[in-house]
Amino acid sequence: MSSSLPEPVLRALREGFPPDFLTQEPGELAEYGRDWTRVYAPAPSGVVFPRSTEEVARLLALCHAHHVAVVPSGGRTGLAAGAVAAKGELVLSLRRMTRMEPVDVLGQTVRVQAGAITEAVHQHCAPLGLTWPVDFASKGSSTVGGNIATNAGGVKVIRYGLTRQWVLGLQVVTADGQVLELNGALEKNNTGLDLRQLFVGSEGTLGVITEATLKLTRLPGSLDVLLLAVPDVAGVLRVFREARQTSLTLSAYEFFTDACLARVERHRRFRQPFEARSGCYVLMEVEGAAPDVLEGFLASLFERGLVTDGTLAQSPSQASELWAYRESISESLSATGLPHKNDIALPIACLEAFCGELSRVFTERYPGWEICLFGHIGDGNLHVNVMKPEDMAKEDFFAHTKAADHTMFELVRRYRGSISAEHGIGLLKRDYLSYSRAPAELALLRALKTTLDPHHILNPGKVLD
Amino acid sequence: MKILVTAKRVEDAESKIRVNPQGTGIVPEGLKYKINPFDEIAVEEGLRLVAKHGGEVVVVSIGGKEVQEQLRHALAMGAHKAVWVNHAGALDQLAIAALLAKVVEAEKPDLAILGKQSIDDDQNQVGQYLAEFLGWGQATFASKVESLESDAEKGKHPGVMLSADGKAVVVVREVDNGLATVECQMPAVVTTDLRLNLPRYASLPGIMKAKSKPIQELTPAGLGVDVTPKVVIQKMVPPPARKAGIKVPDVATLVDKLKNEAKVV
Repeated sequence: MSSSLPEPVLRALREGFPPDFLTQEPGELAEYGRDWTRVYAPAPSGVVFPRSTEEVARLLALCHAHHVAVVPSGGRTGLAAGAVAAKGELVLSLRRMTRMEPVDVLGQTVRVQAGAITEAVHQHCAPLGLTWPVDFASKGSSTVGGNIATNAGGVKVIRYGLTRQWVLGLQVVTADGQVLELNGALEKNNTGLDLRQLFVGSEGTLGVITEATLKLTRLPGSLDVLLLAVPDVAGVLRVFREARQTSLTLSAYEFFTDACLARVERHRRFRQPFEARSGCYVLMEVEGAAPDVLEGFLASLFERGLVTDGTLAQSPSQASELWAYRESISESLSATGLPHKNDIALPIACLEAFCGELSRVFTERYPGWEICLFGHIGDGNLHVNVMKPEDMAKEDFFAHTKAADHTMFELVRRYRGSISAEHGIGLLKRDYLSYSRAPAELALLRALKTTLDPHHILNPGKVLD
Repeated sequence: MKILVTAKRVEDAESKIRVNPQGTGIVPEGLKYKINPFDEIAVEEGLRLVAKHGGEVVVVSIGGKEVQEQLRHALAMGAHKAVWVNHAGALDQLAIAALLAKVVEAEKPDLAILGKQSIDDDQNQVGQYLAEFLGWGQATFASKVESLESDAEKGKHPGVMLSADGKAVVVVREVDNGLATVECQMPAVVTTDLRLNLPRYASLPGIMKAKSKPIQELTPAGLGVDVTPKVVIQKMVPPPARKAGIKVPDVATLVDKLKNEAKVV
């Protein structure tokens, strides 16, 4: 693939589409060529902004005919470089396709275009008491299309599952420009293979999602938000075990270490939540709890010394304050240093044993380095962030972490975990995919890719090489 | 020493606040409530003072039975006992100050610390009226000399201080062009500004203990206060909706519009 657009393509883009369809302005190229990863230098050949599925279809047919690589692009909040265009690809941004249809209150669905912002969908549905329960810190920038293409996770997975479970229908444009309508708004449709699910989590490598019918649910009733101080990761898991054995409905069970909190306090200028510092903190959200059940549970945690300090939000604004400690971690790590990020998942039953071994990996591979550990531990999901030591060059740092990742991923494989719980594979984790997928599986994935995108124009080099 | 603090129940700004179609008030459905943030600062300051000098903090709220939630919150933060003036209807600032004056007469605190205003109707009158009714000195808009991120703040040192002989209160207050320090003989009324302290979170043991702390119930009639409002809200009107913005094709057009339409440059 060439790094600039072929002349006939450039001409077709200028003559066959509106004048503001294509931009090659350097500032825009730099902006649209990257996501929240900062590892690759952006270098797209252009950015196009279609307004309709029809324009997307014509564009892809054109790119297919001329073998032009295309990077589908949503809110670019990804953390695996799935939306990075570093090799002269054409970025297909869906940011102009933000239409949302009226909510179907009876069916509890809503049809939206792929560029609709996640939070805008929430605001669209909330007045009717409904929500699309896909929720994370970047919801103000991420788009529905990106959420679906990456099968996004987030902070409510413990309660609602992944994005995959909240997509009823998809409209997808294939690499050669065909428009597929998959499943529509059907709750039940047992007519053979469910092609829709093929595109959920495909990271833009199989087709471009242009519209989706989203499944909605009732907004939760009362939510209680707690922040607890526990001594260590083992303590986090002990409290989780206790919470699982009560009748409480957990809608979030998150944890972070004191290293994360210290960086949040530094970057966001938040106060220390408790008088004494603690090794780890748990952010727990409970839905519709009877006050006596919740208080009984908390009292027993204290009496047995499982938590050393804690608070229960007394108002919605206090609940937001407590959530902000957890939700500010990613941005605070990037703002105060350079993190090397890993997003791993383990069977929940293995977490305790795995974490024990993980700290040995840290001692061996990163002696004395700052490691910021946090994540959706209730889903078996750990975000492992190794911070670049101040006096180390960026290249040396990434070379070191790359080597160390193999040691960690070997451990993940041994526990039958995943090397990417929710961030996806993109470019960043591609070379490690074999730690989580067997050779036979990889061969099947390649065959599917070639069938759907014979010229390999869709997000080439992402997920598979 | 004994410190009386207030904890007014106000709408949480995280709720969507809308004026009802009749313009007689706001739509109560879906609203969540909390302690007025200025009062929460008053509670915190009271707790810090008694932590330093000993004594107790009594928290007062006026309203229907739902204000017990805010009283429990203040008790969970560490207040020692609560007084609930049970009154469901509308009150104006004079009536509130009159009720508080009666509670003060009964409780005989050395200090009354109130939020400088409440975030619902933003009146900023009750503290001043209360001082007048009691014939006490007043130090309004108590603030802090150092930053709220300072070590003193982290160590929960009070911003409101007692004089060396313990008979007066020394208050740094925010004024238009800086800070002024005033001294008031006690008993006195202090009202709190936003930068006085960062209120603590109610600890879990504090929340448990709050359940068994006493809440004393009083009524306006029992206190002998006529609360018929002298100030009545005639009408509420939401602010006009903002007009949608426009997009301009280039900087030249923007400058032209700023010059000739908005006339700001």
